[in-house]
Amino acid sequence: METGRIVNVMLSGVGGQGILTAGRLLALAALHRDLDVKMSEVHGMSQRGGNVDTHVRLGAAVPSSLIPKGGADFLVSFEKLEALRYLDYLKPDGVAFVNKLEISPLTVALKQPNYLDDVDALLEEKAPHLIWVDGTEMARAMGDVRMVNVILLGALATRLPFLREEDWDAAIEQRFAKPKVREAVKAAFREGAAVCPSP
Amino acid sequence: MKELMLGNEAVARGAYEGGCAFGSGYPGTPSTEILEYLAPYENVLVQWAPNEKVGLEVAVGASMAGARSVVTMKHVGLNVAADPFFSAGYMGVNAGLIVVSADDPAMHSSQNEQDNRWLAKAAKVLMVEPADAEEGRWMMREAFALSEQFDSPVLFRMTTRVCHQTGVVQPEDPVEAPTFDYETDIFKHVLLPGHARLRRHKVEERLVAAEAFGNESNLWNPVFGGSNGVGIITSGVSFGYVREAMPEASVLKLGLTNPLPLDRIRRFAESVKELIVVEELDPYLEEQILAAGVTVEGLARRPYFGELNLPLVEEALLGEGRDKVTISLAGVEIPRRPPTLCPGCGHRPVFKVLRDMKLNVMGDIGCYTLGALKPLSAQETCLCMGASIGMAEGLELFAGGKVAERVVAVIGDSTFFHSGITGLIDLVVHGSKATVLILDNSITAMTGAQPHPGTGVDVRGEEAARIDIADVCRGVGVKRVAVVEPYDMDNLEKVIAEELAADEVSAIVVRAPCVLNERVKFAEPVELDLSLCNKCGLCIRVGCMAIREKNGYPEILADLCNGCGVCVQVCPQEALTIPEKVSS
Repeated sequence: METGRIVNVMLSGVGGQGILTAGRLLALAALHRDLDVKMSEVHGMSQRGGNVDTHVRLGAAVPSSLIPKGGADFLVSFEKLEALRYLDYLKPDGVAFVNKLEISPLTVALKQPNYLDDVDALLEEKAPHLIWVDGTEMARAMGDVRMVNVILLGALATRLPFLREEDWDAAIEQRFAKPKVREAVKAAFREGAAVCPSP
Repeated sequence: MKELMLGNEAVARGAYEGGCAFGSGYPGTPSTEILEYLAPYENVLVQWAPNEKVGLEVAVGASMAGARSVVTMKHVGLNVAADPFFSAGYMGVNAGLIVVSADDPAMHSSQNEQDNRWLAKAAKVLMVEPADAEEGRWMMREAFALSEQFDSPVLFRMTTRVCHQTGVVQPEDPVEAPTFDYETDIFKHVLLPGHARLRRHKVEERLVAAEAFGNESNLWNPVFGGSNGVGIITSGVSFGYVREAMPEASVLKLGLTNPLPLDRIRRFAESVKELIVVEELDPYLEEQILAAGVTVEGLARRPYFGELNLPLVEEALLGEGRDKVTISLAGVEIPRRPPTLCPGCGHRPVFKVLRDMKLNVMGDIGCYTLGALKPLSAQETCLCMGASIGMAEGLELFAGGKVAERVVAVIGDSTFFHSGITGLIDLVVHGSKATVLILDNSITAMTGAQPHPGTGVDVRGEEAARIDIADVCRGVGVKRVAVVEPYDMDNLEKVIAEELAADEVSAIVVRAPCVLNERVKFAEPVELDLSLCNKCGLCIRVGCMAIREKNGYPEILADLCNGCGVCVQVCPQEALTIPEKVSS
């Protein structure tokens, strides 16, 4: 895969989980590899605890920025329900990386449970290739729960061989100025890659 | 050197490169980031205006003074600025004047999806439409010269997917902006009827000249040759979908979309066997092309509303649905995740009280519009910026009975400065008895924390003049002005009840800093004693993300709770408590 065709990565989750930053790092790595890249996101109202998605498209030439349903090579979901919501964006042979985290949507009444009990089973059943990542726990163990986005990105990177380590390093260095933060981010990225054995 | 930029960031870069000396506007998704990205550049003064109309008026003055200027707003903001916009079209410019309208097809963050291309046509000003971030940069860079050449403000029309698209951009060095001196010219600048009639001809001449320019411009209106006999006319974000859906088609990509280059369109039509227009929202291009006597099809092939995307454009061009979806979620009911007020938000106790008091709440536009949704269900309207106050007056006048006694308006601080003050004046002048709640969190929160006249800082975060909302209310003649904080809900209810009972208009300024912007942390997470809980559900009904249902009982999510104590106040069983601070 040397990206003569466009590679589509859909990121989904809940506002405030660092999804935009993950998309930006991926796009920066692609730019460092001299690829064309387009990314689409929605700001504004949707950020108040609503579901959030970021489309990232990489390739030799990328004319448009939105991934069609059924067109994503990869789905990277920061939350289980948001994995399920965006699952139909995946191609039949697409890979889903799902963070083991449940965030309940706003509850409006006591007798109205609003999280699917069988979300794990549904994901297992419907996703063609599913990779669970215990990103939130890993990030917590590292002492910074915000690192979950970089851990998931590290996992994704194992399936994007056309992006080299130096591309990711360059992206991280461009996005984060403080040396201490850079090192922490790189470490989290490597841990994410480590939990995801190469196919 | 190539760089990755958000569309709005690229537009700011283009303004800088084009010698922009002044930027103004009012925050509104999806336009907001343009001014925020422009502010740090050298040699440009950037200011948030109290509303779009004022922002444009200042920019018109700046243009007359010789400063290349840009004004940014969302599509509905141009309605507010429409008065100066239309007449500035007659007045023309001195230095280039660009008005950015960021439209929101599919209404991601808006109350309508109006297509502002019509406003350029109606105002008879030039319009350009970038398709992606890099075009946002170079078109903005070039638009100033276009504005000066044709003596016209330029409507720079963007859409959500261009504003909030990140792409590869090739920055250039800034141009040397030409210098223009201010000149008194009453025939150009004083639009008395006699002068305006003279300008009316200039406007028409400008459009004729710009159309001739567009007919020959390979830069603004490029043609991409194809091989299958199909010709597609398109503009803006639709261009990318067209290239991807049918790369073998010929494409006339219009970057200058008012006036339309009708000769160029005719020549293009003659060069192909079949002509299709692909455009988002209204058939703006299509109707004008048809009116010019060119046979073309467009709207019949696509939905009349919402955004385009690749599958829709494939269907429009290939005549068949290329449904690639293979993972079916049919039968799976995925709970919605609507946006909601943040844990600890000062708007929540206000709406809880308003709901319990069963008031008829005329609402407005901001985060607090979410007070209309379950379970707060307290706000009954949302029309446009500032409408709550006037609507409350009208409802009170004619609803009669119980409704008239229970009318309140709820408006945010930034919205109040934007267009609430004139409404309040109307209430005072006409002796209305309505009660107006101004929710003051000291920031324009929904769009991402932009300062407003009551904040006391400027766009760069530096100290600025601060206007007190209570003083404004008193200044326009409101005699009953109360200032309260919302977290003591008993007190809040008492104050609202008093002002409702008063025989004259009242204003209640409810002050609570935005918890998101100020990173407010009230206390340790609330604790729940399940042995005391009787499952009444009242705490759930304050609508906080930090409380969820688990096995028929509430559960406090400690990661999200910031200890504001609103749920603690509603619990009749005293099952919820704020833990005592452990002294270190």
